[in-house]
Amino acid sequence: MSEPLIIAVPSKGRLKEQVEEWLADCGLDLKVSGGSRGYMASLKGQAGVQVRLLSAGDIADALDAGEIHLGVTGEDLLRERGGDMEARVRLLRALGFGRADLVVAVPKSWLDVDTMADLEAVAHDAVARTGRRMRVATKYLVQTRAFFAKHGLADYRITESGGATEGAPAAGAAELIVDITTTGATLAANGLKILADGVILASQAHFAASLRAPWSAEQRASAERLLRIIEARAAAHDTATLVWPAAGEAQAAVIDRLVAQGASRRPFGLLVPAKAMASAALELTAAGLGPVTVSRPDFVFELRCPPFEDLCAVLPHI
Amino acid sequence: MRNEPLTPPDALAAIRAPFAGAGTEAVDPPILQPLGALLDLAGETLRARLFVVQAEGGAEACLRPDFTVPVARMHLERGGGAGRYYYEGRAFRAAPQQTDRAEEFLQVGLELYAQGDAAAAAADVEIATLAWRAAAAGGRGDLSLWLGDVALFGAFIDALGLAGPLGARLKRIAARPRLLQAELARAGGANSAEAPEVGALAGILAGLSEREAAALLEEVWALAGVERVGGRGAAEISQRLIRRAEASRAPALTETQAESIRRFLAIEDAPAAALAAVAAVAPRAAGLKAALAEWGERLDQLVKAGVPADAMRFATRLGHTFDYYDGLIFEVRSLALGPERPVAVGGRYDSLPARLGGDAGVRAVGGMVRPWRAYAGGEA
Repeated sequence: MSEPLIIAVPSKGRLKEQVEEWLADCGLDLKVSGGSRGYMASLKGQAGVQVRLLSAGDIADALDAGEIHLGVTGEDLLRERGGDMEARVRLLRALGFGRADLVVAVPKSWLDVDTMADLEAVAHDAVARTGRRMRVATKYLVQTRAFFAKHGLADYRITESGGATEGAPAAGAAELIVDITTTGATLAANGLKILADGVILASQAHFAASLRAPWSAEQRASAERLLRIIEARAAAHDTATLVWPAAGEAQAAVIDRLVAQGASRRPFGLLVPAKAMASAALELTAAGLGPVTVSRPDFVFELRCPPFEDLCAVLPHI
Repeated sequence: MRNEPLTPPDALAAIRAPFAGAGTEAVDPPILQPLGALLDLAGETLRARLFVVQAEGGAEACLRPDFTVPVARMHLERGGGAGRYYYEGRAFRAAPQQTDRAEEFLQVGLELYAQGDAAAAAADVEIATLAWRAAAAGGRGDLSLWLGDVALFGAFIDALGLAGPLGARLKRIAARPRLLQAELARAGGANSAEAPEVGALAGILAGLSEREAAALLEEVWALAGVERVGGRGAAEISQRLIRRAEASRAPALTETQAESIRRFLAIEDAPAAALAAVAAVAPRAAGLKAALAEWGERLDQLVKAGVPADAMRFATRLGHTFDYYDGLIFEVRSLALGPERPVAVGGRYDSLPARLGGDAGVRAVGGMVRPWRAYAGGEA
């Protein structure tokens, strides 16, 4: 049998639950093998796919190194791998969960520091006065360095932090931090505030592909199947089907107008963007077509699959 | 890790000779350098180019990226004073992404420590001449000696007679093109706005003594339920609030001033013409005039020492990338290798020994050549 397509999903925490919900919603239920503590799994109906359960950080590493084909992890973790992420990893779909911002946070008591420009001035004063550079606690070295360089801030030192970064200023281990936050509550509780222009990255969980993994024709085919299902489910969430009893030619004008607004024709009906479903239905009834039945499709399979086409465009030809 | 090929022994001997002959002591500082100390001096941007190593349980170290700081540390450990150190050894720098540059390479160089202005002026000429000779000994016919002066920008800004904070800011951001461009773009425009409530607080603080201002800020913190974390005290923060408010009220650069700064930074020419251009663009100020006169002297001596006058270029922008250079700066460039891969580099770093805890009176200058780049049959 040929080599399977390898996908990694988070193995613990809230992110794991959200990924499982998302897969189940797509009809791709995750079946963990080897009991509840197993770290291998399969996807319902996808024979050529092997699923590994890893930590989000390990998934970013594995995508980067090409040890897996596809994976779900945070954009913040992927970007932290350094260098040119686009050359190694392709983001296929933002998943809308696992949201977290990577931010620069300074003590609230620093009333004179609201922006990166303020921080640059204060950092320079510190090194000029004491000869020592201001310390920034973070585990996001690469993104901190790039962001600070972008803002012309050079007078600082990074103190690598393994965990509980937000406590570093209070503990005297650093003057400020760069860390992930979802609500900012933990930062506030530690006497810190986010700089006005200090959001380095608004991150969320992504379904991503490794460009370094070996991609056989079979693995590409498995990935395409999977992506088509995922895209079809996502498209279904955004559309509604409108049907009504057939009527005469007299009402063709209203249908043409709706098509011009983004609807597509169906036998005896229209497929419209979900947010326009009520207004479209009202226009149809106003034109004398009805009753209009609105239903939400489970899947909408388009002829093309842009994320897969984009992926193939950057993978080597086989 | 990409290693550099070996330079043939006779070529290496010729390239080494100028520096080796001028040093009074050959030194070999440790390859492993303390990471923290190096980053403190050179800045965090250097980290991306360093190879970091750590033994189990030990402090983080890095492979020496060059010899300047390692030799300075060694010099100070011996008690400072004067010194002429020759070195030849491998240095290590991670290549920038998407380049195939060698990451382990040979450097040959000299670091000169001396007291007093006269010795420093002579050392400037000596080191640039030696670097030129060492580079030229490799047999490339396409070399040029690029000269610059980090201190000249400061003297030029002083000559413009700007308001205190603005002048200080310009000098500080000289090495940061983005910030400098932003400041120049702001010329003739409105002042930066300050949030009204913070501006009001700064206004009140400005009317108080330093101690009262600090006490008031403590009260503001207490009322707002703000806990003091992170090192900086009430005195420091209250004073900077006042300074920031002053700076935001201070006028931006005028269009004319911005234009002279742009013209100053664009100067790149044969040295005599370049210095004349600096004099033309700047108002006549004593400090700048003295600096230019010194440069005139230096150029004469360089020519006397045998550097061909038509191989020299002067660029005001040169050398604003490394944090510890603070005076003369030079690069020997090969046309074939381009400005990104200089054959030899060096400069004055008077403030570095003091920052390492040494005697503030010591003046220091150094230069090094990369033999494989200098060698005509070498790096392509």
